[in-house]
Amino acid sequence: MKNGIKIIFIIALSILSGNTGFSQAKKPTLMVVPSDVWCTKNGYMADFDNQGTKFKIPDYKKAFQENSDLLLAVSKINELMAERGFPLKNLESSLKSLQDQAAEDAMLTSKSGADINETPIDVLKKVARADIWIQMTWTVNQTGPKKSITFVLQGLDAYTDKQVAGASGTGTPSFTAEFPVLLEEAVISHIDNFNAQLVKHFDDLFANGREVILRIKTFSSFSGDLESEYGGEELGTIIEDWLAANTVQGRFGTTDATESMMLFEQVRIPLYDANGRAVDARSWARGLQKMLKDKYQIDSKLMMKGLGQAQLVIGEK
Amino acid sequence: MKTVVKTCSLAILIMLGFSITASAQAGRKADKDTKTWRYEIEGVGIGTQGTYLVKVWSYSKKPDVALDQAKKNAVHGIVFKGFSGRPGMPGQRALASNPFVEQERADFFKKFFADRGPYMKFVYESGDGSVAAEDRMKVAKEYKIGVIVSVNVAALRQYLEDEGVIKGLASGF
Repeated sequence: MKNGIKIIFIIALSILSGNTGFSQAKKPTLMVVPSDVWCTKNGYMADFDNQGTKFKIPDYKKAFQENSDLLLAVSKINELMAERGFPLKNLESSLKSLQDQAAEDAMLTSKSGADINETPIDVLKKVARADIWIQMTWTVNQTGPKKSITFVLQGLDAYTDKQVAGASGTGTPSFTAEFPVLLEEAVISHIDNFNAQLVKHFDDLFANGREVILRIKTFSSFSGDLESEYGGEELGTIIEDWLAANTVQGRFGTTDATESMMLFEQVRIPLYDANGRAVDARSWARGLQKMLKDKYQIDSKLMMKGLGQAQLVIGEK
Repeated sequence: MKTVVKTCSLAILIMLGFSITASAQAGRKADKDTKTWRYEIEGVGIGTQGTYLVKVWSYSKKPDVALDQAKKNAVHGIVFKGFSGRPGMPGQRALASNPFVEQERADFFKKFFADRGPYMKFVYESGDGSVAAEDRMKVAKEYKIGVIVSVNVAALRQYLEDEGVIKGLASGF
């Protein structure tokens, strides 16, 4: 009887330790989006007035509502990626969710009549998000009665702005094939090469850590600046030392540094912390925030952008 | 009379033995060629979703052996070599991104590429199996035969991922 209880206890313990002892790396979200070139060529750009400066921005909602070829290409890529065990976030659904959420937030009040808190930054951040954008472009080439498609797929890291995967080419000219068939063929023939490069990018991520960007800024209410000395060291140097100690093989680049701001790029952070928990840019930068508070009594505000960008504003919360 | 029958039987048996041995030797030689990458593979068209349509050129003194070996070479090429494209059709990279996987998983691949081994599940001969005249060449003492085959690469990739031979897109997440 005693032995039976022991066995059950050991099994339960091993299951529990198996569940908590290892966690998987945070999976990046991928989303297919038509490129600006495609949107411009097909008339899906909208004018945007940013405090007097006029911009043209892609009108994805209109594109999805009016262009069935776009729907076919996006749906085919989504289908092929789901088959590979990597379902993508759908841009059209994300846009709808954002719209629904905005309508819901506008109507939401408490029993006492209080509204939802929303800072200007919150409003600005209400856009469709992904960690890697799969930017897609196609152009139709016509020579006499022959038609062919030039197809371009680019996998762009949303934080480092690097192209992490790509595939492009022009299909065989055809007299008879209908345009959607040519488009489908283009997607099928390029997706495997695209995914092979994506696998390489993920391999690099597992071997050398996630590449993130860290911005350090200061509030005007902060009494010092990044050149102020704490224990004989400048604050900027203290931050750089912390980065050197907390990045994979001390890999990071100081792109810009002034008395009021610092920009660190190509910062390689580990995928897991000392407890085996998955890490993203924010949870990693929280270590820096904690160190500044515990050691130097400096308050700071930590903000994030997806898995790969963190911003620490020093001075107050 | 009895002696003549005996001699004839013995002669037939010896000839049959030689023929089987020669055939087996040709088969072993073809397997060796596969291992030493002695075949050529090229894309010929965009297959249906999840398949590659490739032409494989194999070498053997016996055309039949070269024909049989084409399927094995096609799968071997897609797993380890990849293939070049042509205008209008992109080439494809090898499924195995680790160049040492063939040595590291030698036991698995020995069984996988055995005669009538599991590789057969993923490859089909395209057309009726006949070889066009321009795809049958005599080079020195052997034949170089080009065969078009279709490889179910989606199923092949899934199989290799399940066996832990190659990494899936989402592995580690």
